[in-house]
Amino acid sequence: MSEVIVVTSGKGGVGKTTTTANVGTGLAMLNKKVVLIDTDIGLRNLDVVMGLENRIVYNLVDVVKGNCRAKQAMIKDKRYPNLFLLPCAQAGDKNSVSPEEMKKLTDELREEFDYIILDCPAGIEQGFKNAIAGADRAIVVTMPEVSAIRDADRIIGLLEANEKKRADLVVNRIRMDMVKRGEMMSIDDVVEILAIDLIGAVPDDENIVIATNNGEPLVGQDSLAGQAYMNICKRILGEEVPLLDLNKKQGLFSKLFKRS
Amino acid sequence: MKKMKNSVVIKGNKYGIIVMLDKNLPFDELKKEVADKFKASSQFFGNSSMGVTFEGRFLNNDEIRELLDIISANSEINVVCVVDNDKEREAYFKKSVEEHLSDLSNNDGQFYRGTLRSGQVIESESSIIILGDVNPGAKVVSSGNVIILGSLKGTVYAGVSGEATSFVVALEMQPMQIRIGDYIARASDDNNNNKKSKKAKPETKIAFVEDGNIYIEPLNKEVLNDIHF
Repeated sequence: MSEVIVVTSGKGGVGKTTTTANVGTGLAMLNKKVVLIDTDIGLRNLDVVMGLENRIVYNLVDVVKGNCRAKQAMIKDKRYPNLFLLPCAQAGDKNSVSPEEMKKLTDELREEFDYIILDCPAGIEQGFKNAIAGADRAIVVTMPEVSAIRDADRIIGLLEANEKKRADLVVNRIRMDMVKRGEMMSIDDVVEILAIDLIGAVPDDENIVIATNNGEPLVGQDSLAGQAYMNICKRILGEEVPLLDLNKKQGLFSKLFKRS
Repeated sequence: MKKMKNSVVIKGNKYGIIVMLDKNLPFDELKKEVADKFKASSQFFGNSSMGVTFEGRFLNNDEIRELLDIISANSEINVVCVVDNDKEREAYFKKSVEEHLSDLSNNDGQFYRGTLRSGQVIESESSIIILGDVNPGAKVVSSGNVIILGSLKGTVYAGVSGEATSFVVALEMQPMQIRIGDYIARASDDNNNNKKSKKAKPETKIAFVEDGNIYIEPLNKEVLNDIHF
């Protein structure tokens, strides 16, 4: 029973790649066999966030065009043996691949993996069409900001038009202090507008920047964002996990407690 | 050159086009002018269907026929009727056209189920009832009334063919823009309305035209009784 999940948002910079990396790593930590596919041809990113850039030999375009086998292009993660990355090409553009070819590839990978997670490029053009072609379900990432929500709304409409029956929402980069002051939309406000199921809420956490720069996904770590991502992974597996209390301050005390 | 320009003038109104003809030009020259004018503007009109009125000159039936042939030869306009500029008759036509339009828009309705999202447009020749929200960036266009059983945060054009008696109802009224007939109202630029509206309990409201303005008022029995269509 394998699933193909596309992580998409419409707008750029809301955290698609970070979400892909963390959800993929999290699922691998939960003993699932996972492959991450970067479909942002020309703007390769996911390999950097995963810290696997130096291992790239072949890429997605090579696989699709038959220059190599999928096995050869997939990079085994340095931390988890059941996590793989299929990087995209830095040369070429989104038109180097067609939706049919992507669907064929994902269907092929289904036989070997539990989860195939596609990192979708920003926008609604060819790259988006490629990424959603083979997907069973979608994770729509947005942040509490009008432009990001507008784009997410558009994306959900397009997913519905393409008969992707299931789309779940991740509200990313929430700043509870701003929500409290009434300067940022709350999670409830966002869910009310977009009217799809919420699968996770991730706070804006500076640890994410650090983790990204180090090429080490922070899922499962003690930070709020790390816990939030782990919860998303569990919900993907069908577990019922209550929403994290984002109001909780990561003070000195709680840190000391956890260490002991 | 100036004289040439003025000998044939095409004007438009809600029901079609008016072709103003020079009184003194010989008919053969006039035909050429009409041909040139329509050829030049054929792209503008496209293949639309409309009524035509000739003004400024008395024409007999043969002449009208000739001009119509010229129009269809030089443009893709589909002339559905020729309306003469007799005031009484015009009023009669106007009335019957409008009656027909309001019949169409008010006695008929169409349901749409689901949330209209940014970029989605729904258009209808009749009134429309939406079971869901209209999100910012989405658009509802109807010749009749628009009723939204959800929140309206996008754009609505009701009475798109000029029916100012059309109305818009929504359970939560926060439209980006409302157009009814030829009138337009837009949301205020007040940025704080997000915060305010959160505190206020959402209330069913109706938007309608009165004295050339669009009013948005809470929907109650009194207002409902005032609706005429």
